[in-house]
Amino acid sequence: MIKEVLESIQGIGLYGVVSICIFFGFFTGMLLWAFALKKNYLNTMGNLPLDGTELPEPSNHQKQS
Amino acid sequence: MNAETFKYDNRIVRAFGIATVVWGVVGMLVGMLAAVELFYPGANLNLQFITFGRIRPLHTNAVIFAFVGNGMFMGIYYSLQRLCKARMFSDFLSWFNFWGWQTIIVSAAVTLPLGFTTSKEYAELEWPIKIAIAIVWVVFTVNLIGTILKRREKHMYVAIWFFLATALTVAVLHITNSMTMPAGPFKSYSMYAGVQDALVQWWYGHNAVAFFLTTPYLGLMYYFLPKAANRPVFSYRLSIIHFWALIFLYIWAGPHHLLYTALPDWAQSLGMVFSLMLIAPSWGGMLNGLLTLRGAWDKVRQEPVLKFMVVAVTAYGMSTLEGPILAIKTVNSLSHYTDWTIAHVHTGAMGWNGFLTFSMLYFIFPRIYKTQLWSTKLANWHFWIGLLGMMFYIIPIYVAGITEGLMWKQFNKEGFLQYPNFLETIVQIVPMLRLRSIGGTLYLVGVFMMAYNLYRTAKAGQFEPDTEDQAVPWQKAQVAEHGKSPFHRLLEGKPLIFTVLTVVAILVGGIVEIIPMYLIKENVPTIASVKPYTPLEVLGRDLYIREGCLGCHSQMIRPFRSETERYGEYSKAGEFVYDHPFLWGSERKGPDLAREGGKYPAAWHYNHMDDPRSTSPGSIMPRYSWLLTQKLETDSLPARLGALRRVGVPYSEGFENGPAQKDLAAQADKIVAELKQGSVTTTPDREIIALIAYLQRLGTDIKAAPTITAAK
Repeated sequence: MIKEVLESIQGIGLYGVVSICIFFGFFTGMLLWAFALKKNYLNTMGNLPLDGTELPEPSNHQKQS
Repeated sequence: MNAETFKYDNRIVRAFGIATVVWGVVGMLVGMLAAVELFYPGANLNLQFITFGRIRPLHTNAVIFAFVGNGMFMGIYYSLQRLCKARMFSDFLSWFNFWGWQTIIVSAAVTLPLGFTTSKEYAELEWPIKIAIAIVWVVFTVNLIGTILKRREKHMYVAIWFFLATALTVAVLHITNSMTMPAGPFKSYSMYAGVQDALVQWWYGHNAVAFFLTTPYLGLMYYFLPKAANRPVFSYRLSIIHFWALIFLYIWAGPHHLLYTALPDWAQSLGMVFSLMLIAPSWGGMLNGLLTLRGAWDKVRQEPVLKFMVVAVTAYGMSTLEGPILAIKTVNSLSHYTDWTIAHVHTGAMGWNGFLTFSMLYFIFPRIYKTQLWSTKLANWHFWIGLLGMMFYIIPIYVAGITEGLMWKQFNKEGFLQYPNFLETIVQIVPMLRLRSIGGTLYLVGVFMMAYNLYRTAKAGQFEPDTEDQAVPWQKAQVAEHGKSPFHRLLEGKPLIFTVLTVVAILVGGIVEIIPMYLIKENVPTIASVKPYTPLEVLGRDLYIREGCLGCHSQMIRPFRSETERYGEYSKAGEFVYDHPFLWGSERKGPDLAREGGKYPAAWHYNHMDDPRSTSPGSIMPRYSWLLTQKLETDSLPARLGALRRVGVPYSEGFENGPAQKDLAAQADKIVAELKQGSVTTTPDREIIALIAYLQRLGTDIKAAPTITAAK
C-alpha cells in the first residue's frame, strides 16, 4: 500500500543531488546565523536558568564529616 | 508594569521522581535476573514468564521508558516551568501524562512476560499499548507546547529546544515504526517486511536512543548543570550549534545497526558516514558541559550533584565517540552480534542517563522538600559504588565481546575455523558474564542507597506543593534589544515556526533514507523459490517471537568467510520478503539460525528444546520444556493468516478457512512421524511441533533454486 503511494513520486533520481544541497545549505546557514549572534544576546541567554532562583541554594557541606 | 504572581507545580515533579526511583529499581532487578540467567540458565526456575527471552525486553523497556522516561518527565516538568516562568499549561494534562505513563509501564510489565511482543527492539509492546503510548505522548506534547506558548519569559532557552525536538521526533518515530496489522487483541504483524522492516526498525531504534535517551537529557544537562554549578553554560553559541547539528545528523545514522547485512550497500554507507559526522556535535556538547565547570572544580569535590554530572557528561562523551567508531564497517564486522554492543549501551545507560538522573534527583528532592540532603556522605558512597559498579559491568563485558568477535573469526593453519563449535566461544566468556553481574549488583546497591537517602530527606523536610514566583509577562514588558537578528527573534518568538523547522530537520534524513528503499526495486531482488510460510510455520514463527528467541539468535549471515564457513550461504535481501516482522536479531548468545533448516533431525530439536544440555553440554540456553506440553493454539490461525495477507503475503482468498487447517494438520502429522523415527513420541497438537516446523524451514528456500532473478 505504502509502496504504491511512494512509487508514484516523480523524479526520484534527483534525490541524491537534492539531499547534498539540503545538507550543505542547512549547515552553512546554521553556522552563519550562529556566528552572527551578538555577545549581549548570548550572555542573556546563557544566564537564563540562573535567574529567579526561587529557593536558596542549600549547601550540602555541613553534613559532610 | 505589574509583575504577576504564579506557582510552580511541584507535586507532579515529586510524582515522576518517585516513579523514577521505583521503576529504576524494578528495571535493574530484572536486568540482574537476565544477567544471572546468562551464566546460570536454571535461574528462571523453569518458568516461561521469567525466561531470558521474555525478560530481556522487559529490562530494556523498563530502564529506557520507565526509569529514564520518568526521570526525563521529572526533569522537564521541573525545569520547563522555571524556564518559562509559568506553571504547566494544564494540571489535568500533567496528571494524565503521569498516570497514563505508569499504566503503560504496568501493562508492559504484564504483557512482555506473557509473551505478547512484536519482537522489534524497544518497540516490543503490542498494538493496543502502542496506541496508548501515542495518546499519552500527544498529551505530553500539548502540555509542553501549551506551557511554552503561555510563558512569561520571552526567550526560549536552549533546553526547551531539546525538549520540543524530543516530543516531536519521538511521535514521528513511534508512529512510523508502529504500523502494524492487528491479528487479535494482543498480536499484530508489521506492515513492512524483511529489509524494509529492518531499515524502519533501526531508523526507529537508533533514534529512540537519540531522541529518548539523548536529546531530552541534553536539555536537562543544559539546565541542571549550570544551575548546580551556579554559572552559565560555557558557550551558548556552541549549545545552539550542538542542537541543530545533532538533530539534523542523528536521524540519518540508523543503518549503522545493519552493516554487512542484506541491507543495500548505499544505505549502509550513508549510515556510517553520518555516524562519523555525529562525533562533532556530540563532543561539542560534551565539552560545553565540562567547560561550564571551569574554575568551579573545587565544587565538584564537595557536591555529589556535580560529581554525578561530571561522570554523566564524560560517559556521554565516551559513548558518542565509541558509537561512531562502532559504525565504521570494519570495526562493526568484529563488534556486531557480540557483547561489545552491550558494553557500549551500558556506558550510555548507566553513565549518561543513570548518573544524570541521580544528580537530578539529588538536586530536586532537597529543593521541593525545603531542606538539605539528608546525608552527603551517603550520596558520596552512592557515587563511588555506582562508578565502581559501572566499571565492573562494562570492562568484563568489553573483554567478552572482543573475545567472542575474535574467536568467531579465527581460522587455523589449515584454513578451517579454529572454533567450529559455537559453544566453545560462549564457554570462554562465561567468567566475564559472572563478573558483569557483580558490577550490576554494585550499581543497584548504589540505587538503594539513594532511595533511602531521598526518603530520609523527604521525611526531614516539609514538602512544598507549589513554589511561588513572580515575573512580568514578556508581551507586556519593554524588551531590550539584543543584537540585530530579526530572523532569530522571529524564530523564538514563534515556537510554532520553530517546531515546524525542527520537524523538517529531522524528517529530511528519514525521508532520504526510507523512500528510495521502497522505490528502487533493485534494492530487494526477488528470489523465485522463496515462498510464504505454511500455516504451521507461521504459528511456529509466532512462538519463536513469543519466546524472544531473537534475543540470542540472529538470522542474518554476513558475507564473511568466517560466517559462511560456520553457517552456510550468506543471507540475501530477497529471502525475507515474507518476513513480517524481520527477525534478524542483534546479538548472538547462540549460533545464527538463518540456515538452521535441515541441519539437525526433528528429534534433535525436540530433545534440545526439552533440555539444551542433553544435546549440547555446557550450553547456556534455558530449557523450553513447556513447549513440549502446551497445546498449540490454532483458533487464531484465520486471523493471523488474514492479517498477513493484508500486509502483502500472497495467501489466496479463503485459504485460512479450511485449506490452511488441513495443511497444518498434514504437516504436523509428518513431523510427528519424523519424531517417531528419532524415538520421540508426541501428539501433533503440541507447540513444539510448530516450532520445529519453523526451524526446519529456516533458510531452506534458497537451496531449492540458487539463482536470483532481477526484480520484475
